[in-house]
Amino acid sequence: MAQVKGKKAGFGAVLWDYLTTVDHKKIAIIYLVAGGFFFALGGIEAMLIRAQLAVPNNDFLSAGLFNEVITMHGTTMIFLAAMPLLFAFMNAVVPLQIGARDVAFPFLNSLGVWLFVFGGIFLNLSWFLGGAPDAGWTSYASLSIASPGHGIDFYAVGLQIAGAGTLISGINFVTTIITMRAPGMTYMRMPLFTWTTLVAAILIVFAFPPLTIGVFLLMFDRMFGSNFFIVEAGGNTIIWEHLFWIFGHPEVYVLILPAFGIFSEIFSTFSRKRLFGYSAMVFATVLIGFFGFMVWAHHMFTVGLGPTANAIFALATMAIAVPTGIKIFNWIATIWGGSIEFTTPMLYALAFIPSFVMGGVTGIMQAAAPADYQYHDSYFIVAHFHYVIVGGVVFALLAGLHFYWPIITGTMLSEKLGKIEMVIFFIGFHCTFLIQHWLGLWGMPRRVFTYLDGQGYNTANMISSIGAALMAIAVIILLINIIKTLVKNEKVGTDPWGDGRTLEWSLPIPTPYYNFANTPLIRGIDALALEKEEGDGTIPAAGPVEAIHMPNNSFIPFMISFGLFVAGFGALYFASGKPWAIDAVANLPEKPWALYVLIAGLAITFISMGVRSWKDDLGYYIPKEELEADLRELEARERGAK
Amino acid sequence: MAEQNHEQLTESQLKYLRMERTKEMRIQMISFGLMIFLTFIAFALVALEIDKNFVIPIVIGLAFLQVVLQFYYFMHMKDKGHEFAKLFILVGMYFAIAFVVCFIMIVWIGNPI
Repeated sequence: MAQVKGKKAGFGAVLWDYLTTVDHKKIAIIYLVAGGFFFALGGIEAMLIRAQLAVPNNDFLSAGLFNEVITMHGTTMIFLAAMPLLFAFMNAVVPLQIGARDVAFPFLNSLGVWLFVFGGIFLNLSWFLGGAPDAGWTSYASLSIASPGHGIDFYAVGLQIAGAGTLISGINFVTTIITMRAPGMTYMRMPLFTWTTLVAAILIVFAFPPLTIGVFLLMFDRMFGSNFFIVEAGGNTIIWEHLFWIFGHPEVYVLILPAFGIFSEIFSTFSRKRLFGYSAMVFATVLIGFFGFMVWAHHMFTVGLGPTANAIFALATMAIAVPTGIKIFNWIATIWGGSIEFTTPMLYALAFIPSFVMGGVTGIMQAAAPADYQYHDSYFIVAHFHYVIVGGVVFALLAGLHFYWPIITGTMLSEKLGKIEMVIFFIGFHCTFLIQHWLGLWGMPRRVFTYLDGQGYNTANMISSIGAALMAIAVIILLINIIKTLVKNEKVGTDPWGDGRTLEWSLPIPTPYYNFANTPLIRGIDALALEKEEGDGTIPAAGPVEAIHMPNNSFIPFMISFGLFVAGFGALYFASGKPWAIDAVANLPEKPWALYVLIAGLAITFISMGVRSWKDDLGYYIPKEELEADLRELEARERGAK
Repeated sequence: MAEQNHEQLTESQLKYLRMERTKEMRIQMISFGLMIFLTFIAFALVALEIDKNFVIPIVIGLAFLQVVLQFYYFMHMKDKGHEFAKLFILVGMYFAIAFVVCFIMIVWIGNPI
């Protein structure tokens, strides 16, 4: 019930509202703030890496600390920055795009976000509690079992908690998109961001269980004395690599598909045209999602699977280029002949096409298994995946931030600062990573903390580090832009870009907490553009105004996540100094309280779940009168604006 | 939404609903009987001490049949509105089997192929 009405709510009330909210729009803001925070952390780690590598024989970071920094940079950026930021846009936009009042399971949505927040905090607390994980973001078991101290334990438990949150959110979005579309919103009328979210959520549902299993095996090996990966006891470390990459490859499509969706929306909005080849785009999205599961072993060509296995996975990998190429050509055809408007999101989208294609081309090069033996573990790989992840996902996140900012906050980011930020980021990005292709081909290995003078790496590394600094400057400009916009707080009205094509732009800004007073009726693809061209520019209602059933806010998701967070510490220190523990932690001082912390944490979680199960919470109704009053007020406001 | 279905059913609608439910019940009973019979065959094969190489594949085959019957008749996969659940289960099974086969081939047996 706790809808904070009126502007003068105290800080405590606002905080409590956000801690207990089940509203997808507020959860999007939590994802955005927490994801943005971790993005900054990962960015600082990137700066440290580039500072260390700027000059040869540098001792700015020690070798051990460098390993921790690269591990945390990768893990943070993938799990705690890119994915949550995409979830922020999914939460903010997808229910509005399909004409739903909320996601299918608002309670689980809240649980998902708090699990992610606590998992992320847990992982990053490792910096203060005896050292971060240092086995790379892939955490291959042969390294991670041997890694001394508790660093890897933070990785395992933190990812387990955050991963549970992601899996829950994935299930939530699949259900939402399949079951909660408004009347007339058929599958082939869904906006492309909704389609890509659906496919990405399906990938999450199928890809996260292998990760969960892999991380569970690692947890049991490191904390509870099992032998899955311990070779001298009959274990096999290759199992980890397979499980990790069965998850890991679909994971990169979980990241890039929503990015494709955001760009598709931006291209058609700012070219003022329908997306070219809509059905081909949908088909390509589904196909990429399906192929994504067949290619995991291309990360393991040098493991020694044998030539037949390598050939199969090489071929499957190259096949993915076909649907991706379809998409690239469709985007170009969308721009072609359009009435183009060069806004900040559009600039990012235009920059994305060549940048991402470059990353794709090096991807095909690596898919050729014999050639991959040369590229393996060199900076060529680093350059490749930064080209697709920064040039694809991060560009999409920044473009999406500018594009959807009005929907999320009700204000407009400054276009002038936005364009400056875009140009600096674009130059910095290519400056950092283009040269790394050559560094790789010249033989510079990745994940090594320094290099010797006189090997010909000096200039190239310096250029790369300067580029990284430029990207940091661009992000700082974005921050200034955000702060300025929030302080100014100039509210905008419906359809602030003026060219909104899909349902989310038809809503008043700020969007009411029930989203749609009437259930909308969708008459075709690009619902709002259709109504602008053929109707009066408003979405017709599917029925009369009726009382709306809403879920109550709940503090329970926070408590469930907090319980797991506490239990995590118990599990983490459980093996310390135990005689049966692995060598990495056997010599540490024993922590007799660990078991009790583990039990207490699990008790908090299960009691919270029990409260949720046994106490009926039937939600509440928004009375018809309130909705009608809101509609009248909105009408008056729009008349006033004219 | 459940709270909206308060309208009274007409006579013929009620009759139709009854007929559907009787049919459903009959199908449930038949499949239940069939499943017990399948279980009986499996037990009998083992009890008769027939050659192992013959019994094991047959019992696994029967088990598979049982699973299909379970899913389709007891867990309502045959009913309308389960297309996505069906698609998900089948795709998930496809991936899981592919992964298991892969693990057996390249991890467990372990010879490079």
